[in-house]
Amino acid sequence: MYEGNENIGMLLPVVLPIAAGAAVLLAKGLRRNRKTLLTLVLGTLFLEAALVVWALYAKGTLNLWQMTDSICLAFGIDEVSRLFAGLTAGVWLFVGIYSISYMKHEQEEHQFFGFYLIVLGILIGFDFSKNLITMYVFYELMTLTSLPLVLHERTREAVMAGLKYLFYSVAGAFLALFGIFVLIRICGNQTFTPGGVIRCLDDGTMVCILRDSIGTERIGQGLFLGAMLCILIGFGAKAGMFPLHGWLPTAHPAAPAPASAVLSGVITKSGVLAILRVVYFVAGPQALRGTWVQQIWILLTLTTVFMGSMLAYKEPVLKKRLAYSTVSQVSYVLFGLSVLQEQAFVGAMSHIVFHSLIKNALFLCAGAMIVITGKTRVEELRGLGVQMPLLLSCYTIVSLGLVGIPPTSGFVSKWYLATGALASGTGIWAWLGPAVLLVSALLTAGYLLPLTIQGFFPGADSPEGRKSEPSVWMMGPILVLTAGALLLGCFPGRLLAMLEAAAASTLL
Amino acid sequence: MKEAISLNVPGVCGMGLHFELDGFRLIYLAIAVLMWSVSGIFSLEYMAHYKKRSRYYLFFWATFFATAGVFLSADFYTTFIFFEIMSFTSYVWVAFDEKKESLRAAQTYLAVAIIGGMVMLMGMFLLYDLCGTLRFDELEGMAGQILKGRRRLQLYAAGGLLLFGFGAKAGCFPLHIWLPKAHPVAPAPASALLSGILTKTGIFGIIAVSLMMFGTDGEWGMLIAGLGLITMLLGALLALFSVNLKRTLACSSVSQIGFILTGIGMSCLLQAAGEDNGLAVRGTFLHMVNHSLFKLVLFLCAAAVYMNLHELDLNKIRGFGRKKPVLMFCFSMGALGISGMPLWSGYISKTLLHESIVEYTQVLEGMKLAGESMPGIGGNPVFWHGAEWLFLISGGMTAAYMLKLWIALFAEPDPDFQAEIDGENRSAESILQTFSGYEAHKDCVKPDAHTSSMKWDFYPKCMRKTSAAALIMAAVLLPLFGLFPHSFMDGMADMAQGFFGKSGHAHLVSYFSAGNLKGGAISLGIGIVLYGVVVRRWMRKDGQYVDRWPSWLDLENLLYRPVLQVALPGICGAVCGFVDRYLVSSAVTVFLAASAVVCRGMDQMADGVIRAARFSTHSQIPRAAAFGTNTEGRGTGGPGSCVRERRARFFSVLARLREQVQRNGRLVEESFSFGLMLFAIGLCLTLGYLLLVFWLQLG
Repeated sequence: MYEGNENIGMLLPVVLPIAAGAAVLLAKGLRRNRKTLLTLVLGTLFLEAALVVWALYAKGTLNLWQMTDSICLAFGIDEVSRLFAGLTAGVWLFVGIYSISYMKHEQEEHQFFGFYLIVLGILIGFDFSKNLITMYVFYELMTLTSLPLVLHERTREAVMAGLKYLFYSVAGAFLALFGIFVLIRICGNQTFTPGGVIRCLDDGTMVCILRDSIGTERIGQGLFLGAMLCILIGFGAKAGMFPLHGWLPTAHPAAPAPASAVLSGVITKSGVLAILRVVYFVAGPQALRGTWVQQIWILLTLTTVFMGSMLAYKEPVLKKRLAYSTVSQVSYVLFGLSVLQEQAFVGAMSHIVFHSLIKNALFLCAGAMIVITGKTRVEELRGLGVQMPLLLSCYTIVSLGLVGIPPTSGFVSKWYLATGALASGTGIWAWLGPAVLLVSALLTAGYLLPLTIQGFFPGADSPEGRKSEPSVWMMGPILVLTAGALLLGCFPGRLLAMLEAAAASTLL
Repeated sequence: MKEAISLNVPGVCGMGLHFELDGFRLIYLAIAVLMWSVSGIFSLEYMAHYKKRSRYYLFFWATFFATAGVFLSADFYTTFIFFEIMSFTSYVWVAFDEKKESLRAAQTYLAVAIIGGMVMLMGMFLLYDLCGTLRFDELEGMAGQILKGRRRLQLYAAGGLLLFGFGAKAGCFPLHIWLPKAHPVAPAPASALLSGILTKTGIFGIIAVSLMMFGTDGEWGMLIAGLGLITMLLGALLALFSVNLKRTLACSSVSQIGFILTGIGMSCLLQAAGEDNGLAVRGTFLHMVNHSLFKLVLFLCAAAVYMNLHELDLNKIRGFGRKKPVLMFCFSMGALGISGMPLWSGYISKTLLHESIVEYTQVLEGMKLAGESMPGIGGNPVFWHGAEWLFLISGGMTAAYMLKLWIALFAEPDPDFQAEIDGENRSAESILQTFSGYEAHKDCVKPDAHTSSMKWDFYPKCMRKTSAAALIMAAVLLPLFGLFPHSFMDGMADMAQGFFGKSGHAHLVSYFSAGNLKGGAISLGIGIVLYGVVVRRWMRKDGQYVDRWPSWLDLENLLYRPVLQVALPGICGAVCGFVDRYLVSSAVTVFLAASAVVCRGMDQMADGVIRAARFSTHSQIPRAAAFGTNTEGRGTGGPGSCVRERRARFFSVLARLREQVQRNGRLVEESFSFGLMLFAIGLCLTLGYLLLVFWLQLG
C-alpha cells in the first residue's frame, strides 16, 4: 500500500522526547539536582528541534505497526506536517527556555517538564501521522498526556479545570470517532491524499475514487455529511470551536503560564490539523462544497469568532481574556478552511503560524506580568510601562499583530482569509465572513490594547515606579517570538509560497 | 515633472509595496519635510521641559516616515499599511501628557482610527475581489467599465467603505469628532502636524477613490460635495462658538477640509458633466497646500502662547500678543491667509473653488435652456446657487472666527495683568502665578524665557530665536504665494494635476479681476458683520467670551459613545455570555433529564401496574400511609395563611429546583457523564439518521 523507502529515522523525533520525559518522571536521581534536570530538558529540546529539522527534509514513510489488514499505524511527511512539526518544535523550544525561569516558582518541576517533553513527542507523532487511525491514536494520547500540564498546580480549581478539559476533549473525540467509522467504511484506512478520495456522484451516493480501496460500497450522501458534521464538531472541541469551546477559558487560567501558552498556541491547532486532514486529505473539498454541512460549519466558525472576542472584551481576568481570544482566533483558521478556497486556505495556514507565535508570546508576557506583579486582572496592571517597558513593548507589538495592523503578521493572514472568502462563492458568507472578521479585529483591539494604554499612559498623577524587567531567560523567548511575529509579517514571501504550493495540490 | 518614478518592492507584507513619485507626491513630500522640520525645531523649545520627551521624538519621526509612505504609495494596499502605522504612532502625540482629558481624547482618536481602518480594509477586500488589483493606475481604467456593468453596486459599496475610512482621518462629517478633542490636548507642534498634514492623508485617499474610481460619476460627486458643504459649514460654526484657541483652530481645520471636499466633489461633477474640471482640481489642490501651511503657522503661534501661559482659554490669554511683533506678524499672516484676504494665498484657492461652483451652476443652467436636465436635487441650478452662498458664508465665518482670535490675542488688553504680560514688569514669576494653571506646570516653565529675550527688542518675548526664525520662514510663504500666484501657485498646480487625472495646461485665471475680487469681498464683508453682530453682541458677557454652544450637543457623547461603549457591547455581550454559559450545559442537562424520565418510566412500568391495581381492584391498604404526609404548618392559621404557605413552599421548591439544575449542570459539564452524553448524542443522531435513510429508501 505504501510506496517509497521505509525510513526508520522518522521515529526518532517521536521517541526521543517521550523517552527523555519518561526518564525525568521516573528516575529519582535526575530530579535531585535542578541543574541536571534542566540540562537534560534543554538538551532534549535542542536535539529535538535539530531532529525535526532533519526529518522535515527526509523523504519516505514509515509503516510502524500493521495491526490488521486494514488497520495500520504509519508515518509520512508532507507540506502540512512540515509546517506543523516545525512550528511545534520551535515553539516548544522557546517556551521550554522560558519555563526554566518561570517554573522556579512552582512545585514539582520535574512533573511539569516530564509531561512537557512527552507531549512534544506525541505532537510530533500526531503531525507525522499518515492515516486516520494513526492520527486518532495520537490525538487521544495527546489529550491524556497534556492533562497533567493543566492539573499541575493541584488546586481544586486546577483539578476541576483539568477534568473539564479531559471530558470536553474525550467527548469531542468520541463524537469524531463516529465520523471516522463512516469514512473508513467508504474508503478504508486510506493514506492521506491531497484533495481527498471521496467523490459525490450525481445520484447522491459517495464513492472512493481509488480502485484498490477496501470499501467500494456506496453510501448515501446524507450519512456521509452527518458523519462529517460529527467530525467537525468533535475535533472542533480541541480547536475551541463553538459549541464545545467551554474548556479553554477554564483550563487556561488554572494552568501555569508556559502550559497555557502551548495549550493555546499549539494544542488547539492540533484540533485544526485533525479537521484539516479529514476535510482536505480524506474526504476532499469537492465532496463538501456547497452542502449544508459546509454552511453549518461556516456558521459555527463565525459564531465562535464573534462570541470569543466579545466575551474576551467583557472579561476582566487577563489570562481568561487571552483564552477567549484563542477561542476566537483559532476559529479564524477554521473559517479559512471552511470556505474551501485556495487563498483562504493559505490565509488559514499562515494564521496558524502567526497566531501560534503571537499567542505564545502573549501568554508568556502575561505569565511574566503576573509573576512579577502578583496581579491577575487587567485594570490592576496599570503603569506597567514604567516598570517593564521592554516586556510591554513586546506585548504591544504582538497585540497589534493579533488585531491585524500592518506590518505585523496578523494583517497578512487576515488579508488572505478575507480575499479568499470573498472569492469562494459561498453566497452570503462570502462577504459576511470578512465583515465578522473585521468586527472581531475591532474587539481584539478593544480587549488587548487597554493594557498597553494604561501601561504606557497611566495618567499624569500616577506614582513613579522602578524598573523591574523579567529575567533574560523569560525575556529572550518573548523577544524571539515577537521578532518572529513581526518579521514574518514583513517578509512572508517564502512561507506564503510554500503554503500556496500546498494549497494548489490540495484544492483541485 | 514629466514622468513619474515608480518603485516596486515585491513580497513585503504579502502583496508587495508600490511607490510612485509624481508631481503631486513630490510637492506633498516637500510640504511634509517642511512641516516636520519647522515643528521639529519648534518642539526643541516646546518640549524642553517635559520628562518623557524622548518618547515624543521617537514617535514624531516614526510618524513622519509613515506619512511619507502614505503620500508616496501607488496602491491602496501600500496606502493602508502606512496609514495604519501613522494612526498608531500619532496616537502617542494625543495621549502624550497623560491628563484625563488627553487620555479621553486619545481614546476617541484611537477608536476612530481603528474603526476607520477596519472599515477601509473591508472596502479594500471588496475592491480587490472586484478588480483583482489595488494599483491606482490599473483601477482607473477598470472602474469605469465596472460602473457600467452588473457589479456596480459592489463598487459603490467598496468606494463608500473606503470613503468612510479615509474620511475618518480627514475629519469629514460625521466622523470629525476626534479633531476638536485631540488637537487641543496634543502638544502644539504635534497639533500642527495632525491638522496640517495627517488630515491630508485622508484627503489623499479620498482623491484617489473619487477621481480614479468615480471620476465620471455624478452621483458620487454629489455625495462628496454634499458632505463637503456640511463639513464646511459645521466646522465653521463650531469654530465660531469655541472660546479655546486650539479648539478654534481644530474646528477650523474641519471647516477647511470641507472646502477641500467640496472641491473634490466639484471635480467629479464637472467631469461627469463633460466639462473641463481644471478649476476645481487646481482649487482643491492649492487649498490643501494652503491649509497645511496655515495650520502650521497658526498652531505654532498657539504653541508660543501655551509655552508661556499654559492656558488656551481666550479669556485668559487676552492681550498676550501685544508688543510681540514676531508673534503678531506670523499669526496675522496665517489669519489673513485662511480668511481669504486678497494678496494672501488662501484667496487664490478659495477663488478657484468658488469659480468651480459658479461654473457648474452655469453648466446646469445651460443644460436647462437646452431642454435637458440632470435628475435629482443636484441637477437643479438653484441648489448650486445655494451652495455658492453657503460657500461664501462659510468663508465669512472663517474670517469672523479668525478676527475673534486676533482681537483677543493682540488687541484687547487683559483687564488685570496687561502690564506684566507686556514684560514691563520683568518678574516672570509674578505673571505666571496669576494664571491658574501655573502650579501644575512649574516644572515645565522656563524661568529665563522673558528676561533673556528682553535684550532683543526685535525678537519676540515669547520664544527662542531658532523657533522664531522657523516660524517666520513658514509665515512668509503665505503672502509670497498670494502676491505672485502665477509663478508659485499655478506652477504647483501644473505639477500636481496629473494625480487628479488631468493633463495639459489650464487657461490662466486672472485672480485679481473685479468678478473674483467681488466674491472675496462679499465673503469678508459677511465675516466682519458676523463678528460685529454675533461675536461682539451675543458671545460676550461682562467682557468675557462665553461658549454659547449647548454642551449636550456633542455627537460623540450623544450618539457614538453610548452606542459603541454601552449599548452594543452590553447587548452582544449578554447574548454571548448567555450562550457561552448556558447553551451547552443546559442542552446536556435537558437531554439527561429527558432520558432519565424515559428510563425511569420504563423502569417503573411493572411497579405502575401493581400500584394501579392497589388503587383499583386490590385497594385494601389505606391510601394516606402509602404517600406519607407533610404535617408541619398544619393548624397555624386560617385558609389565607394556608395559601400563603403553599405559595411560599412553591417558591422555595422552585428555588431549590433551580439550584439543583444549576449544580447538576455544573457537575455534568465537568464529569465523565458529559463525555458519555456527547457520545450518546452522536450515537442517537447517527442511528436516527440511519433509520430515516432506511425508511426513505424502503418507502
